[in-house]
This record gives sequence, C-alpha cells and structure tokens, in this order.
Amino acid sequence: MPRRRDRARTSARAYRSELVQRSGLRAAGTYWDRLPGPVRTFAPALALLALAATYPFYLANLPGNFPVINEFPSVRSAVTIIVFTTMAVGLNVVVGYCGLLDLGYVAFYAIGAYTAGWLASGQFQQVKLHFGSVGITHDARGIHISIWLVLMCAAALTAMGGILIGLPTLRLRGDYLAIVTLGFGEIIPQFVRNADSLHGFDLTHGTFGISPIDAPGFGETLHRRVGLPASYQQEFNADRLFFWTALALLLLTIFCCIRLRDSRLGRAWIAIREDETAAGAMGIPLMRTKTWAYAIGAFFGGAAGAYVASFNQGAFPSQFNFNISVFLLCMVILGGMGSIWGVVIAGVILSWLNVEGLANIGTWLNNNVFPSGHNIEVAKYQFGIYGVVIVLMMMFRPQGLIPERRRKRELEEGSHGPLDEPVYELRGGDEPGAGERGEPKGPVPRG
Amino acid sequence: MSEPATPVTGNLLVADDVRKEFGGLIAVNDLEFTIPERSLVSLIGPNGAGKTTFFNMLTGLYRATSGTITFDGQDVTDRPPHAITKLGVGRTFQNIRLFPQMTALENVLVGMHSRLKGGILGSILGLPRVRREEREATEKARELLQFAGLRRVDEELAESLAYGDQRRLEVARALATEPKLLLLDEPTAGMNPQETVTFMDFVDKLREQRQLAILLIEHDMKVVMGISERVTVLDYGEKIAEGTPKEIQTDERVIEAYLGKAATT
Amino acid sequence: MIGLTQGSVYALVALGYTLVYGILQLINFAHGDVFALTGLFSSTLIVSHFNLDESSGALVILGGLAATFLIAMAFGAVVNATIELVAYRRLRSAPRLAVLITAVGMSFIVQNISLAVFDVNFRSVPPLISDANVFAIGGVHYNWQAFFVILVTFPVLVLLTWLVKNTRQGKAMRATSQDPEASAMMGINVNRTISFTFLLAGGLAGIGAVLFLVEFNIRYDTGFELGLIAFTAAVLGGIGNLSGAVLGAIIIGMIQAFNEGPFLWAPGSDWTRSIVFGILIAILVFRPEGLLGERTPEGA
Repeated sequence: MPRRRDRARTSARAYRSELVQRSGLRAAGTYWDRLPGPVRTFAPALALLALAATYPFYLANLPGNFPVINEFPSVRSAVTIIVFTTMAVGLNVVVGYCGLLDLGYVAFYAIGAYTAGWLASGQFQQVKLHFGSVGITHDARGIHISIWLVLMCAAALTAMGGILIGLPTLRLRGDYLAIVTLGFGEIIPQFVRNADSLHGFDLTHGTFGISPIDAPGFGETLHRRVGLPASYQQEFNADRLFFWTALALLLLTIFCCIRLRDSRLGRAWIAIREDETAAGAMGIPLMRTKTWAYAIGAFFGGAAGAYVASFNQGAFPSQFNFNISVFLLCMVILGGMGSIWGVVIAGVILSWLNVEGLANIGTWLNNNVFPSGHNIEVAKYQFGIYGVVIVLMMMFRPQGLIPERRRKRELEEGSHGPLDEPVYELRGGDEPGAGERGEPKGPVPRG
Repeated sequence: MSEPATPVTGNLLVADDVRKEFGGLIAVNDLEFTIPERSLVSLIGPNGAGKTTFFNMLTGLYRATSGTITFDGQDVTDRPPHAITKLGVGRTFQNIRLFPQMTALENVLVGMHSRLKGGILGSILGLPRVRREEREATEKARELLQFAGLRRVDEELAESLAYGDQRRLEVARALATEPKLLLLDEPTAGMNPQETVTFMDFVDKLREQRQLAILLIEHDMKVVMGISERVTVLDYGEKIAEGTPKEIQTDERVIEAYLGKAATT
Repeated sequence: MIGLTQGSVYALVALGYTLVYGILQLINFAHGDVFALTGLFSSTLIVSHFNLDESSGALVILGGLAATFLIAMAFGAVVNATIELVAYRRLRSAPRLAVLITAVGMSFIVQNISLAVFDVNFRSVPPLISDANVFAIGGVHYNWQAFFVILVTFPVLVLLTWLVKNTRQGKAMRATSQDPEASAMMGINVNRTISFTFLLAGGLAGIGAVLFLVEFNIRYDTGFELGLIAFTAAVLGGIGNLSGAVLGAIIIGMIQAFNEGPFLWAPGSDWTRSIVFGILIAILVFRPEGLLGERTPEGA
C-alpha cells in the first residue's frame, strides 16, 4: 500500500515542478528570493494587516452582488468573525502545538463571557462597585468595571479554570483526554444554564443569561482630552470601533503565540506532540508543560469570550454548546495544526461561512443551481459541512491548508504534517516492550 | 584533555535488588548493578533478557516493582523521567525516537530544556535575558551538532536524515541534557561495519572530552569488546556474569546463554 | 426499575462502543448518531410502512415490531460498517489522534444526515405496548413497556455472549482485539473481523433504537447525549469488557432514574448530563480501568 502512494506522490511532485517551471512562477520566485529577509518575512503579514484594518473603509466599495457569495460581511459580522478566529488561534496552542485534542474549548469561551457578565453588568444587584466603567450612570447597581480590566480578569480567570480542568484531565491518554474535555465543555454550559438558584443565589441568571453587559470605552476624561471614544456603544460608528479593537485582540494573540512557538516552551510543546515519551526523557516536565498549553489556550479563549460578550451586550447559555468546540477544531484542522496563519485564514473562512456565508451561498444555490421549488437551507447543515471538512482533511491533507512548516523547495516536495505515519512503530512508555524495536513502517532511510 | 586510565572514584549509579514484573512475567529479577563514575559499562544478553526494561527503570519510564535505584547519591526509584534527566541521566532509544517534525537543531535544543530557564512572560516580551539565553543555547546546540558531525544538516528535519545521522543526532540530543551518565540503547543497530567503526570512534571521543559514564546496550560484540571497561551479561532478567571483556568472552554461562547448552559440551 | 429499562437501552449502545474500542482502541463518536438515525428510520417504518398504532391487533403489533427489529438491526449494522469502511479504514495506520478527530467529524456528518432526512422534529411511535402494570408492589410499579424492553434485551445479551464466546467470528474478534498482528499471522482476516465488529455494534444499536422508541421520542441530535451516557457506562464497567458495559449501563440507568425521579433531593433532569460527565471524569481519573476492567498502565 505505501509504495503505491509513494509512487503516486513522486510523480505528482514531478508534475508539479514541471508546472511551476513552465508557469514562470520560478522566475517570480527568484525575484522574491532576492528581496532582503525581513522584507520577505513581514511583507505578506503587513499587507494582510493593512487590508484587514482598512476593511471598514473600502467595504462600501466592494461589489454588492458578488457571484455565489453575494455580499461581503458587514463590519458588525466581521467582529464576530475576528473573535472566533482569535479563539481558533487559542485552540491551536492546545491542539496544534501540544497535540492535545481539546473537545471542550467552548468552556473557556463561556467562562470568559460570564466573567464579563459578572464584572460589567447589573447582575449582582446586591453590590454597587464601579471602577473605570463607562456609559453607565454612577448610581447603577451591580459590578461595573472597565472592560479593559475585565478582559484581563476574564483571561486570567479562564486560565485558572483551564489549569483546574487540566489537573485531572491532562494525565490521561489522547482519546480519554478528548472525551473528558468534551465533558467539561458540556458541564460548564449546563452549569451556567441552571445556576440561577444556587441555594437561592442567582449566579448566572439561568437560561436568560446576563445582559446587558457594559461596552468598552475610554471614559469622559480621555474623550475630552484626546478624542478617544468615551463608550463604544454611544458612538456613531460603534461597529468600527469594535472591529478595530477585535483586530487588535487578534493581533495580540497571534503575536504571543508566535513568540511562544519559537521559545523554549513552544519547543517543549511540539516535542510532546511529536513524541511524549521521548520528550519526558529529554527533561520536559510533561504535566506542567501540558498545563501551560491549556492555560494559555484558555487565556485567549477567555479574553475573546469576554470581549464578544461585551460586543453582544450579553452572555447567553444558548451560545455555548459542543458544536462550537468542534467548529473551532475544524478551523484548526482546515488551517493546519500548529500553523498560525493557516488557522487564521481557515478561521476567517469558516467563521464567515457560519455568520452569513452559508446562508448567502445557500440563496445563490437555490436561485441558480437547484431546480425551482427545491429550497435547501444550506446553513442548516453547516455542522454536517464542517464534519465533512474535518473528515476529508484528515483523510487527504492532515497537515492542513497551510502546513506548519515552510520547507525549502516546498513547491517540489510534498509537505508533511504532524499526523504523517511515523518512521518506526513507536510503542508507549509503560507497555512491556517500550523502547523495543517495532517494525519499520517504510523504507528505512539509509545514508 | 584526555582522561587518566584509572577511573572509579565512586559509584555513580547503584541499582539494588531491582525487580520489574509485568503481571506474571518477571522481566528483571532482583538485579544488582553499579556504574562507577566515568566508566564505560556494557550490558549484553540475549533478546528479551530485560536490558531495555532495565534502562527504562533507570530513566523512570517504568516504575520498579521493588528495589531501589540511586543516582549520584539520590534515590530516583520513583521519580518521573524528566526529574531523572535533570539529575544527569541522558539516553537514546533502541528504535530511534527523534522528534520527526523538528529540525536537528531543534531536537538538540529540546534536549537542553531542563538546563534553560526562559519562561512564558520572558519569551512573550522578548526580554534581553531570554534572548541571550536562546542565542547561547543555539550556539551550544550547533557545537554539539558539530561534535556529532551533523553541522551541515542542522536545519534538516529529523525525519529526513540518513539513518546513521539519526543515530548520532539522538546522541547529540542526549548530550544536550548535560548528563553525567549516558545510556545508549543499541546505538549501532542497523549500521554497516563502516558506520559502526565511525560510531565507536565517536564514543571514544565522547569519553575523552565529556567526562561522563556510559552504559551501553549492544548486540554487536566487536563494539562491546572493543570499547567496554566492564561487561555485564543478563539472561532472563538476571545477571549471569560480570567482568572485563576478556573474562566474559570465555565465561561458560555466557556462551551457554547465547548459544545454548550444546555449545559448551 | 425504570433505571433498569433505561439501562437496557444504554447497555445495547454501550456494548457497541466497547466492542469497537476493544478491537480498534477507537472511541467511535458516531455510534450514538447511528443509533439516532436508525431510530428515526425505524419510527418511519413503524408508523408509515407497517401502519402500526394502538388500535392494531396484538399479533400485528408483535409481528410488525419483530420485523422492525430485524430491519433496524440490519440498517444500523450497515451504516456503522460503512462508516468504518469509508472513514476509519484508510486511517488504520495513522496516529490515533487523526482517527479520533475523524470520528468526531463522522458524528456530525451522520447527525446531519438525520437532520436532512428527518428534519428537526421529534419522532415517535404511538404507544404500541400498553402501559398497564405488569405488577405493582407497594409504591413500586412496573409497566409492560418497561418490561418489554427487558424482555427483548435479555435474549439479545445471551445471544451476544454466545456469539463472542463460541463462534469463530467471536473468537476472531477477541483475538484481533488483543493482538492484530498475531491474529493476522494466524490467518484471521483482520479487515473482515473489524467490519464484523462494526456490523455487530451497529446491529445492537439498531435494536436499542427500536426499544428506545417504545417509550421515548427521537430527534436527529438525540444520539449525542445518549451516546455519551452510553460511553460513560462502557467506561464505568471497564472499556473493552462486555459484561462491564452492561453493568455500567445498569448503574448509570439507575443513577439517571434517581436523578430525574420523584425524590425530594433529586437534582432533576437538568443536571443529568453534568452528573454523568462527572462520573466519567471521576472514573477516568481515579479508576480508568473501570469496575470490571484490568489494570493497564496508562501512558504518562
């Protein structure tokens, strides 16, 4: 079996490099190679960033009747898209870098959102605590803390939650880890749905959720002195402000993840993903390192959750379910486990599909492709579509759209991903025969 | 700087009555084993004799059913692998366990994990202290690769290296943990005679320059007899002979274990 | 007593999980959704094709149900085996994580097939079995519906035990789950054995689905929660262990019955999921081999 695939792969490679040569991409490539290193590294990212940041300005100029997808997402939809993408980047740390299959990431989203609900709304009528809040009269009851602080608190609290969840979970083997995280991903939303009467105390306001949640802002003083918006919700172009702040949040998350990936801790994560036993033998404390992955993933998930709660002006239990965890997982898999840019692009695509893309495509399909009278609500089947994406990616391109490693001569050679067949059959740490030679899985590379 | 020919100042590792049972199977049977400082000891025996099981117990991968293991004066019997590595035990694996998707350089850098200090905040903020540590670590890693003859492939993915290179990379990675004791599990398996000779020179160089003790599991008798100071023979989890290479070569029990009773009659 | 009824359905589904896990070390996430799909299909059979309702004669009902059982068994078996053929077989040599992720994807695909064909509504069958009491002792009563479930489940379990212990296929299953390579060398067709396992698991789920319909209604997403409860039961009893799956299922059934029952201090059905998951987490942390399983060392 493997030989047939190898032969196919070699001829595919040869074919591809033929194409590349003929198309003159090679010439373009050489020109690209001659640019100074830093330019090559940063230029694409900066270009993308510029495109993203100026989106609200040129959105009006984009065609409103684009084929298939009809229209481009509004700035308001874009905020949600960016927030989900941020969560996907957070999940990428857990699943992509460290190789821990987390099926309960929605729990972090929920904790973040509800923290915002607790710290920036009228939920706790028993107290009156204001600290840097904006857009709220000063005699409003409840806890009203500046959203910027709330974001940090939510991130920290969620990280702690992640550590707590990790304590029993992270010592388990891959499949059990997945199920247990799924469990937590179910328990926490069910908890917030029902915790409106814990011995009489209303913690989460049950199925109604907590709303309204305060908006971010910079307060009257800064507004008068520097012109910064006092409270987002009171501004005329509130959506744009939310958009840029979300973008900043995403960029911060990406920045931290890049830094971490190239650090000692990031190497430890990838080592654990590649071969946990060997990683431990090389001095990496497994539980501690995995817990850090979890905590960091939770940190960004919580921050994103809190932010979007403020944006949506509420945290509602209906938003949190298992589907979201799988949805985020789909982004990581489609993009490429461990590949930040892959996950960002996949995140944007899938989130857009979720927010309005599928509905638009559905309308187009119903109008132009399907026989009249035959209306298929494409958006209804979105999770089936995500399931198909996951299965197809796993079967045919497990390394994702943009694989984690950019290798030299990438155009010629096929890329490999963390899920490729191991060279040797490796046995687990504590089974009889651990470290013993298994059978080589393919031709053993010889010098 | 070469070592004087008389080592043995004290015992670096002492395994006392160590036993490992898997259900009903006794893999290692009340084994007593010592490794003097800066010595080169070989552990040989027929397949299934318990050699790798013993290795795994020394490195914390298996928990001994009974007995104690003391390393550098500390009881490491129940310690997890990373703690034992931190104390100064490095190892390679019988079937190569490199990190396939990481470059040779990164593999070695992972080995340095327990010797570096860079933390989360420092890494994210890019503090000068952390940057400096990373630079120095990369330098050191390159030196190790150079030492192992792998300098030219330092940016190659581990999975795409030649077999001999992979073996030496594993050793380089183990050396990165700054061990006092290096455990090599069948390092020349699958090597042709030429590669084996190269490897033996490599181990010689290792001993001269690095002042560490080496425990070697090997099947290739040329290697064992060629470089060992002491050889221990295991069979069915028990020590059946121990001594210098010459003594072992002529020991009846050893010959019997390998070749069967018929060979000695 | 209600716990026993619930537990029987859980047992049939849990056996499916444990059979597949035993042979492939894979949690077949899609199993619960296969259950749901089969249940929806069966409800259509009963209502629209066999036209059974409470006014049908007793013999007609029994005949119709028997036919439904057989068809549901076949349906569930085929769907489950197809999933293995299409998705899992290709990834047989891939790292476990890849297959697990694929299983999650398959789960959603099957669920959406249910959604596409049967839409969002709950489906049920009219009360074909009377809910008169079989017996009533003191405050405890047990009606025919619940009794019917036990009546069907018990022989199925007996049959299954016989199959696994005495038939060639059963032995092949057990051998393959212990050591696929050695089994292959002994002449066992591993691929066929695995397919057989999936067929068997799917068939059991099919029976369970029809039994479930006797008392409850089914929707496209019913399989998710039920699957997880059944999986917890399998883990509780000891994953890979058949009697364990049944034992675990009965225990979970009882716990759920208690939780949702009339007792004053019962937390109520809102908390069922959390309680079941709490149990799952507790088992995996404190006693991963379950009640009847063997202690195997877990990787660090």
